[in-house]
Amino acid sequence: MKAAIKKQMWTGARAIAEAVRMADVDVIAAYPIRPYTGIMNALASMIAKGEFQAEYIVCDSEHSQFEAVKHASAVGARTFVGSSGTGLIYGTEAAIVTALGQLPVVGVVGCRALDDPGNFGMEWNDALLFRDVGWIMAWARDPQEALDMILAAYRTAEDPKVLLPHFIALDGAAITHVASPVLPPDKQHVEEFLPPYKPLHPLDPKSDSISKAMHVAPSLIGPEQRKVLDVAMKRAKNEVIPQAWKLWGDLTGRRYPAFMDAKDLADAECVLLTMGAYSKNLEYVVEKYRGKNIKLGSIRLRYFRPFPAEELKEAVKDTKAIGIVDFSYSLGSPSYGSILYNEVKAALYDMDTRPLIMDFIFAGGREMTIPDLDQATNLLIGAAKTGKNAERPVRWMTVRGEDI
Amino acid sequence: MVSSELEDLTWVAIHGRGVLNTAQASQIASVVSQAGVFAGRDASYYMRYDDSPERVQLPLIYYAVLGNPGIGIVLPEEVEPVGNIFDAVAVLDSSMLVHPTSQRALLLDGVKQESSLVVNTSLKADLVLKLVKKFNCAQDWDGKVVTVRCSKYHPNLVFGMIGALAKVLEDQIAFDDVVDSLEALGQKSDAIAAVKRSHKDAAPMRVSLRAEECDPYRLKSGLVERYRSICASNGGPWDRLKYMELKQRAAEAPTYELRVECMPRWEVLAPGLIEFNQKPGERNIGFKTSFARSFRPVQDPRLCINCKLCHIFCPDGAIDFDPISVDYDYCKGCGICSTVCGPKAITMVHELKALEDADEEEILTIRRALIEFAY
Repeated sequence: MKAAIKKQMWTGARAIAEAVRMADVDVIAAYPIRPYTGIMNALASMIAKGEFQAEYIVCDSEHSQFEAVKHASAVGARTFVGSSGTGLIYGTEAAIVTALGQLPVVGVVGCRALDDPGNFGMEWNDALLFRDVGWIMAWARDPQEALDMILAAYRTAEDPKVLLPHFIALDGAAITHVASPVLPPDKQHVEEFLPPYKPLHPLDPKSDSISKAMHVAPSLIGPEQRKVLDVAMKRAKNEVIPQAWKLWGDLTGRRYPAFMDAKDLADAECVLLTMGAYSKNLEYVVEKYRGKNIKLGSIRLRYFRPFPAEELKEAVKDTKAIGIVDFSYSLGSPSYGSILYNEVKAALYDMDTRPLIMDFIFAGGREMTIPDLDQATNLLIGAAKTGKNAERPVRWMTVRGEDI
Repeated sequence: MVSSELEDLTWVAIHGRGVLNTAQASQIASVVSQAGVFAGRDASYYMRYDDSPERVQLPLIYYAVLGNPGIGIVLPEEVEPVGNIFDAVAVLDSSMLVHPTSQRALLLDGVKQESSLVVNTSLKADLVLKLVKKFNCAQDWDGKVVTVRCSKYHPNLVFGMIGALAKVLEDQIAFDDVVDSLEALGQKSDAIAAVKRSHKDAAPMRVSLRAEECDPYRLKSGLVERYRSICASNGGPWDRLKYMELKQRAAEAPTYELRVECMPRWEVLAPGLIEFNQKPGERNIGFKTSFARSFRPVQDPRLCINCKLCHIFCPDGAIDFDPISVDYDYCKGCGICSTVCGPKAITMVHELKALEDADEEEILTIRRALIEFAY
């Protein structure tokens, strides 16, 4: 059978659910909030139809949801969780100890604007709340990559060298509610890629008698615990994540660069940079400008934590200007820029010749259109031509009214 | 910081237990520092923020510092060489005399040569000195011991203690300034009268101790070399047996410094906040919590009907099932066992009372049981 025929038309939600089934997850904790709801629905119907055996817990809130997977993971189960927007924030208390307890929970964040009650547009601020506490964070481009990323996430998170929780961020409805062709991996490839989870020290009275997440006196052991996570994150960056994606490419033939995807970068003077689903729009714009002989390129970060600083520095070393297409905001931050913008700036600070960096903030959940992106690109090209730093590097896009 | 930089400071440490002592220690420290300000000096007072005295009976320390150390908060362990720091050590709960401080140090670690120990207790000063030699001192000390029964002067122990403290600090703080500061802080006349009476009654006993006379010093000097060699293995890679060994050494370390050296480095920690327990039926050496105890349950086997209620209700699992007996390494002295005991076979006895009748050998045995846990 041809590969094209084996492809399934799956929404991102369905693709994620299929990945969870392929990973043979033991415990799923669910509580509805859109756009994540589609994933829990897809999982529920799989279990109802008998296609998939797992403990499916409908919790009374996101807080219980994250607690449930934390504890299930501590006894040695492979777990899956997810949420969106303010629901995710309600679950964050448990998320902190999940990381400190080095429990390889895998979750999805269907990115959603933080309330404004009723705002279900796409913003990254909910997912980015996790950025400092020891979760590995990856942004998927489409349903196919979301599926692959879930499997790679379990492999990375459960690696004894890492043991960190991991989430995949989905750019809201742009992935969860959009169907596109997905090629499911072969069963034996998944089995080879993702062996069953063997926890180092499960909470199991039959094996070792241990306590987890005990009281920690700050003066005695607090700093050491943080350092353990720091080193785990470094190992994920330097060894485990690159190896996982290399193996996945060898097995399935679907090759991904581990941390960063780029288009037309080789001779690009200006580069647009983003994460997630809207990178497709950036690539469209790059093609359009290349048709007009304008040297534009684009970069898509696949991981935000660990942040691929070295890769990025190498990629933009001959670039004049970088425009960050960012769906987050960070009010009162340096330059009043967004989160990704300030992260990129920090990552590139110690370059010998730093490119000009502009920030295009698409906050508030309003859909980003191609004319908006054209406008941002023209601003970037104009700033690059002047050869010096733009007077106003941070621009709020799609906002009605003066951008002061 | 070098201790010579701090010679001009007047430094008082106040030790107590639990949330009530926290408030009282804060009140005493505020009066002392206010008096210093009235005398034209800089002053600050603060608690050890890493203490958890909101948990019942856990030990705490407050510091009152007169003079300007040059930085906001200065902690004794920042001062080098260690020692020559405190002008006075006040003890609000006398059971602290048989336990390590909240920082797992000795009560008199870092006192100046001319300094004072003020204890709220009904014990005579010479018995306090006996306990000091047994448990609290590992250095030379030419100081003064004052015992004060604070409740004799006022229901709030703060005022009796302030009077006695003012007596031993007379060279550094004028008593008039103390009275002024009490007035300025809004204390009523009966409280001020209590302070004056206690100040008048306080009778410091002169003490001249040599380090060699003190048990902790002898214990320490015998163990330092042995500990150094064990702690040399403190580092990666992660190894469960090494971790357990280090934890045990830290639990048993006779001094603060040795304990810090034995605390596992990050490379030695198991991933994910894991604590390895003992086998079923054993207790975890990492969680000995007897330092939180000021009263201990004492069993009368003649009255015990072996109903096991105390075993069932003990929240710390510190009472063995058969035969019923208390493991004093883990008992926090909450008293639940004596409350649920039908035939009243268990009574709560103050730690010092339990020691008072004990002979030398017994005191040492109890002391070993009280050695603090790792973390």
